[in-house]
Amino acid sequence: MKKKILIEGMHCASCGNNVEKSLKKVPGVSEVTVNVMAKKGFVEVDEKVSDEELKKAVERAGYKAVEIN
Amino acid sequence: MENKESIEDREIRTWKSKLLGAWIFVVPIAILMVFERLLGIMIFSSNLMVALLLILGFPVVFIFGFSTIKSGFRGLFTFYFNMDSLIALGTVIAYLTGILFFFMEVADYSGVSSMIMAIFITGKYIETKAKGRASQEIKKLLELGAKKARVLRGKEEIEIDISEVKIGDVIIVKPGEKIPTDGIVVKGESAVDESMVTGESIPNDKLKGSNVIGATVNQDGILYVKATKIGKDTFLAHIIDLVEEAQGTKVPIQKLADKITGVFVPIILALAVLTFGGWMILGNDVGRSIGIAISVLVIACPCSLGLAVPISLMVGSGMGAKRGILIRKGEAIQTMKEVKIILFDKTGTITKGKPEVTDIKTFGKTSERYLLEISASLEKLSEHPIAKAIVNKANLLQGGVLHKGAKKYKSVKGFKILRGRGVGGKIGNKSYVIGNRLLMNEKNISLKGIEKFVEKFEEEGKTTMIISEGKNVIGAIGVADAVKDDSKRAIQYLNYKGYKTVMITGDNERTAKAIASQVGIKEVIANVLPEDKAKKVMDLQRRAMVAFVGDGINDAPALKQANVGIAMGSGTDIAIEAGDLVLVKSSLTGVIQAINLSKATFSKIKQNLFWAFAYNVVAIPLAVAGILHPVIAEIAMALSSITVVSNANLLRRKRI
Repeated sequence: MKKKILIEGMHCASCGNNVEKSLKKVPGVSEVTVNVMAKKGFVEVDEKVSDEELKKAVERAGYKAVEIN
Repeated sequence: MENKESIEDREIRTWKSKLLGAWIFVVPIAILMVFERLLGIMIFSSNLMVALLLILGFPVVFIFGFSTIKSGFRGLFTFYFNMDSLIALGTVIAYLTGILFFFMEVADYSGVSSMIMAIFITGKYIETKAKGRASQEIKKLLELGAKKARVLRGKEEIEIDISEVKIGDVIIVKPGEKIPTDGIVVKGESAVDESMVTGESIPNDKLKGSNVIGATVNQDGILYVKATKIGKDTFLAHIIDLVEEAQGTKVPIQKLADKITGVFVPIILALAVLTFGGWMILGNDVGRSIGIAISVLVIACPCSLGLAVPISLMVGSGMGAKRGILIRKGEAIQTMKEVKIILFDKTGTITKGKPEVTDIKTFGKTSERYLLEISASLEKLSEHPIAKAIVNKANLLQGGVLHKGAKKYKSVKGFKILRGRGVGGKIGNKSYVIGNRLLMNEKNISLKGIEKFVEKFEEEGKTTMIISEGKNVIGAIGVADAVKDDSKRAIQYLNYKGYKTVMITGDNERTAKAIASQVGIKEVIANVLPEDKAKKVMDLQRRAMVAFVGDGINDAPALKQANVGIAMGSGTDIAIEAGDLVLVKSSLTGVIQAINLSKATFSKIKQNLFWAFAYNVVAIPLAVAGILHPVIAEIAMALSSITVVSNANLLRRKRI
């Protein structure tokens, strides 16, 4: 299942790396691409992964997940 | 959609107000410092001077720089280091020297602290604006969608917001208006300009039953469109998602840069500490050593390294999207450089994919009408494009008689599809087969007398269907799939550029060669069953890197197997999930554009990576050596990110 996360607060490439690293640590997340400039993250997840977990992962890296769909 | 745009504008606005605020305080600080530190004119006592700098500097560093300081220190404490960590540490340490000044003998950097922050904010503002320019094509795509739709509710026409349109609503689109969402025409006729989505400039004719794409522009007639897709399911929404996701994908060349950005900040932190220690050991005072360490912190620029690839990819893919070329995987633009062989699928790629009957040859006493009636009755039961061509021809010739009543078709018993060869069945008490040479051989039907016609058709690039009644051939039908207007020009250009062009098809050798020679392709792989295409790609890969160009619907495995898969098709008929590069138009010149775009984008990426590496490799040692004043270091840092972003924007000047 593919999910799109709108992320606020990323302003440089290291930020993108941080979000990517943090999202990859969530069990059940297989593919992560983060587009810093479009402020979006795209993840491939299995059904077990909840939006809440993704949100927390983004927050752990220091950013805000505004919207997940 | 509007949400995203306002985030970006808000960001630019925020940086702008921070910038203004910061400089209001920094200008007097700068004047004071010029007088005292450079001209040696003491206006105030040095205690009062430092106090003034601290007071004036406070809002710059801790109010206008608040978000940077906050995110930087959070990064330091959580070990998710970022760019801000360096600036935050550099400015705060510099600011603290001002306070320390009152307690011990130390050089005061508090003025420098606020100058660094002000320059940093200015750099960020310029960078954000330049990034906005880099994403302008995507923004234009987002803005393309119509805002309102005029729908038919009962007998009444009402104008509603686009978000209120439901699937099944009939939308009225007047000339000159945008089609609000994807749908199917239920009434009316018009030409529609689809250039914003496909890059093709000639409007497409639409009539009842045609599919239309949201955001394209109706030209000259009124169209009644039934909405089939809305919101995030529309073609345009898919394209935007696809492009944005692709912009986040990695290009192999950036691996090293990524690795470095990952560890860059902690390394610089360590380097700053070592620099400080080193200068102390060499017998310098604390003040000078701190100053040099601050230079090291603020000059290092992971941003330019981290931005080099994504910003170029963003400009490149935006340019592509405007022309109907979607880069789906960043990797493809690097691989494209290595590709030597371009393999084209024949049907629908080189040719129009709409076969038509061009020749009918009858034998013996058979009339043309009889031959067509028999053929159409059998072929009606098949879904093959060639079968459809024969059925269409029969309808045309007979003024649609066959079309109106199925009873005009003869009833067929024991119908069989003989895969890759033809069809067969019984009409009345006679058995018929329609198919290629292979089928006739199999059935022991002699081609004597008709052979030369069949060969002639084949030499003209026509697929030939032979019709036999019992064991006797009663005629042959030549079906041609016309070559697209620009296929020849495109392939000649690719040949000229040194690519090896190859065509693959299920047709027999002679027909295939005829088409190939029309467009200038010398190597042909004929008689290939659809499922074997991927294997043939693999065979070619033993010789060199292969790009495969196909329609994305039947060729998905071959597209995947190729080093670069280029899927093409017109408008919504395309499977945009297939292929590394996707052409939303059906002309082969798109392949040339895609190749040029890939190459231009990739060379921009290399350029940017080079500058970013070179900058850090030169600047950091200079800072460690104590040659650069912290303010100069910060200016250099800001310039380096701005250069990378602006250089990426220059890609747009390139003609694709």
